[in-house]
Amino acid sequence: MNLYNLAFNNIRRKKLRSALTMLGIIIGAATLVVLLGVTAGATSAVKAETDQYMYDVVITPASSTGSYLMDAETVSKIRSRSNLFDFREVTAFRENINGNEISFEGVNDWKQVKLKNGTSGVVISQDVADKLGYGIGSKIKVKDQELTITGISNVVQALYVHIDQGTAKQLTDDKVSAIYASTDGDPQTVADEIEEQISGVSVETKSENVAEVQEMTDQALLFMGFIAGIALLVGIISVINTMLISVMERTRELGILKATGFTNREIKGSILFESGLLGLSGGVIGVILGITGIVVIANVLKLTEYIPDMMPLWLILGVIAGATLLSVLAGLYPAMRASKLNVVEALRNE
Amino acid sequence: MSNYIIEFEDVWKTYNMGNTEINALAGLNLTLEKGSFTAVMGPSGSGKSTFLHVAGILDTPTKGVFRINGKQASKLSVKEQAKLRRNEIGFIFQRFNLMSQLTILENLTLPMINEDTQKAMNILDNMGLEGKYAKRPGQLSGGEQQRVAIARALINNPSIILADEPTGELDSKNANSIMQILQDLNRNKGVSIVIVTHNPEAAAFTDQILQMRDGNVV
Ligand SMILES: Nc1ncnc2c1ncn2[C@@H]1O[C@H](COP(=O)(O)OP(=O)(O)OP(=O)(O)O)[C@@H](O)[C@H]1O
Ligand SMILES: [Mg+2]
Repeated sequence: MNLYNLAFNNIRRKKLRSALTMLGIIIGAATLVVLLGVTAGATSAVKAETDQYMYDVVITPASSTGSYLMDAETVSKIRSRSNLFDFREVTAFRENINGNEISFEGVNDWKQVKLKNGTSGVVISQDVADKLGYGIGSKIKVKDQELTITGISNVVQALYVHIDQGTAKQLTDDKVSAIYASTDGDPQTVADEIEEQISGVSVETKSENVAEVQEMTDQALLFMGFIAGIALLVGIISVINTMLISVMERTRELGILKATGFTNREIKGSILFESGLLGLSGGVIGVILGITGIVVIANVLKLTEYIPDMMPLWLILGVIAGATLLSVLAGLYPAMRASKLNVVEALRNE
Repeated sequence: MSNYIIEFEDVWKTYNMGNTEINALAGLNLTLEKGSFTAVMGPSGSGKSTFLHVAGILDTPTKGVFRINGKQASKLSVKEQAKLRRNEIGFIFQRFNLMSQLTILENLTLPMINEDTQKAMNILDNMGLEGKYAKRPGQLSGGEQQRVAIARALINNPSIILADEPTGELDSKNANSIMQILQDLNRNKGVSIVIVTHNPEAAAFTDQILQMRDGNVV
């Protein structure tokens, strides 16, 4: 038996009160995890979805050309324009393989292809695997070249093969189906100029709002954190309250501890330990509830692939550590009161 | 090395009650030898409890010099005072003052310097409390509770036991058995003991009786 066991004992003995005290922390911690988690998840979702739109103009073959690819000459004309930079090319084409129309798409950033199995390189959709009986290691013959399949993506209900953009371009004799670029001029003016001066292309501009959206998600994260922080603070105040009541109720008990030779420091320590324990338990339970809430919300919003982004380690550890630390701080004043008690008066206390 | 376990030199304890001052101890001079067994008697309000609290460093005198086992309490830090209480002093109170939420055994092992459950059980056995280890204080009779309190006071082998009306809440049979235990401790283990009591029958177990009046020994 020592003072730490005694602190455990005190929490267990007053189950209802400990539970009510923890409830404040639990609600605060759970709110913090859910709000910050969902916001963080939404932020990375928005970032991932918008990164491919971070351009000012997109140039594609005009429908009048009847082709979905621009030839190498057109591409080099576009690339040589002085007011365009940060080019990104995508080559996509279709190919009939064993009577199935398969879409091949060049990939610049493999992060945007979610893999179910295998590695990036030549990634087929599940439907391709099913319809054509392919697996990782199988070979596909396309335009007289053999590609070895390296992975399977989670693209569903579509016959897709993702390959490196370089490979795609090479397979189509350096043709490109879309060029994304940034410009330092006014996007609409630049777009009109290109359409005028280069035949057979269609140019669209992308709204500048994308950057703003990304900035807004960062601000949302801060704001949500602030709101949830207040919820946690309310929980912490209930720890101060409980520990104060507990010290007053246990006046006589604290007197006994002092009379039997426990030092003020030991007594303070045990009270801080007890309040910290309330915070730790409340924090852990709150985080577990918060994670459950995130999973439910992600399922409702059909954002399950972003669940890992919604529960970053910094959030989970931060909330638990924060709840514990703040609860220890909440115990400071009650602990000080306890250590200042006069033994004789404390023992006289009923 | 002093021969005295307790020395009071002109010790005062004064309470300010509005305009009036109350001297709970009024220039008390007193020495108790090591190994002595003393009863302190006297009318209510004569300062007996105050004397015991000062002797046990639970209270600080307003003025005067007090030594326990040769050490001057006022020269020790608060922490050293606590250590002294833990190492050398055992308290027994009229109202037992056990920790109600702990078992009998836990009440003993809590203040133990080196936790030793076997030693705690042996002491409880010596007090006739075998088989009650897992009971809580509320489940024991007054006499049994006071024996637990004595066991707790002995747990760190103190050199002195201070008891404030240890038989005050007990019938005479239980009171005599408590006094018998204290007497044996004094005779066989050489523990110095001071008890405050109103009960002449209890005082008869001791070797010397001090009478207090108005904050001093008469
Ligand atoms: N905290 C206090 N504030 C004011 N006066 C006090 C305080 N404690 C004790 N006194 C006074 O000091 C005097 C001595 O009290 P003490 O408790 O030592 O008496 P006692 O001899 O133990 O009495 P009893 O036999 O009733 O227990 C009394 O007059 C009491 O009223
Ligand atoms: Mg008294």
